[in-house]
Amino acid sequence: MAAGFKTVEPLEYYRRFLKKNCRADGRELGEFTTTTVNIGSVSTADGSALVKLGNTAVICGIKAEFAAPPPDAPDKGYVVPNVDLPPLCSSRFRSGPPGEEAQVASQFIADVIENSQIILKEDLCISPGKLAWVLYCDLICLDYDGNILDACTFALLAALKNVQLPEVTINEETALAEANLKKKRYLNIRTHPVATSFAVFDDTLLIVDPTGEEEHLATGTLTVVMDEEGKLCCLHKPGGSGLTGAKLQDCLSRAVTRHKEVKKLMDEVIKSMKAK
Amino acid sequence: MGLQLRQTFEAAILTQLHPRSQIDIYVQVLQADGGTYAACVNAATLAVLDAGIPMRDFVCACSAGFVDGTALADLSHVEEAAGGPQLALALLPASGQIALLEMDARLHEDHLERVLEAAARAARDVHTLLDRVVRQHVREASILLGD
Repeated sequence: MAAGFKTVEPLEYYRRFLKKNCRADGRELGEFTTTTVNIGSVSTADGSALVKLGNTAVICGIKAEFAAPPPDAPDKGYVVPNVDLPPLCSSRFRSGPPGEEAQVASQFIADVIENSQIILKEDLCISPGKLAWVLYCDLICLDYDGNILDACTFALLAALKNVQLPEVTINEETALAEANLKKKRYLNIRTHPVATSFAVFDDTLLIVDPTGEEEHLATGTLTVVMDEEGKLCCLHKPGGSGLTGAKLQDCLSRAVTRHKEVKKLMDEVIKSMKAK
Repeated sequence: MGLQLRQTFEAAILTQLHPRSQIDIYVQVLQADGGTYAACVNAATLAVLDAGIPMRDFVCACSAGFVDGTALADLSHVEEAAGGPQLALALLPASGQIALLEMDARLHEDHLERVLEAAARAARDVHTLLDRVVRQHVREASILLGD
């Protein structure tokens, strides 16, 4: 009977739960779903990570290639993110060129990388004006159940921590670059940006980590990206219902706690990998 | 490869039971190290079964090649890149019927028998594994449903 009610009146169904300060899947309003992360599973990539936030699964693969640095910044490399939402993750996506949501997600990730200065582009330079690294970060959603931005940001961070770049020397005589695959170094990850997404219901109620259905019924969404010093890297609020300053402050404090949770999880995973 | 997958599954899926319908099979390769077509077919077989779409039989695939007088089954990327003859075989194991067979590079017809046999044997091994996994999954699912 509940399933019938949910199909006919989904918003009322969710409202009944929210009135009692909990959600349809049993979570509290401020509770995240189970977060799982697996680092380094794609051995053909230079760095990789698979993140699952509840049912949402995103895999990030990073490939490093050589490129000429941009003429206006000869001592910088490139980081090129791309978010792909293929039809296999959800029936709302069609095959073909990237849809609106994929493009927005790609731009969001590019903004997070730029604003948080997660790696210094200068660190990617091999020889100023001649050769630099370009990191292609491919984020593919394998299962879509809401909160794609949080999952992508975490997957990207975990994958970047996994990237090992070989040492490159430029041969003076032939002017060719030689990569020493035996000597590899990890990237210098300067900050750890973590995204926390919220959905707004009926212009008033805020819930954290929305599922696909909750996002669909929500009147607005908000994503906050924090780094470890409590610095705000990015605030993404694409229209939707208005929020008071006080509500926004609540979101920011929740984001700070979430950052601690995620950082702890990632440190544990990396420690267990290094221990092997 | 999309076309090959379509042709393979058109031979196996009982499409007459789903008239005026379109069945979309989306495959995402996360990591490629040779035998990509075979992995796609095996994964798609399990996905189609998981979706409850009726099939004539499992479709099990494997690649095979011929190096230095020896038939090799399930080639890795390095072995494929070496440039020898390669064969991709998709098999319906119960009847032994071949759904798809594609070969490139030159191979003497005397050797074809051996290479085909290597691929077929490997495909049947894959079938044993897939069958076991599917039965295990169904058993667990029916326990959960309380049957």
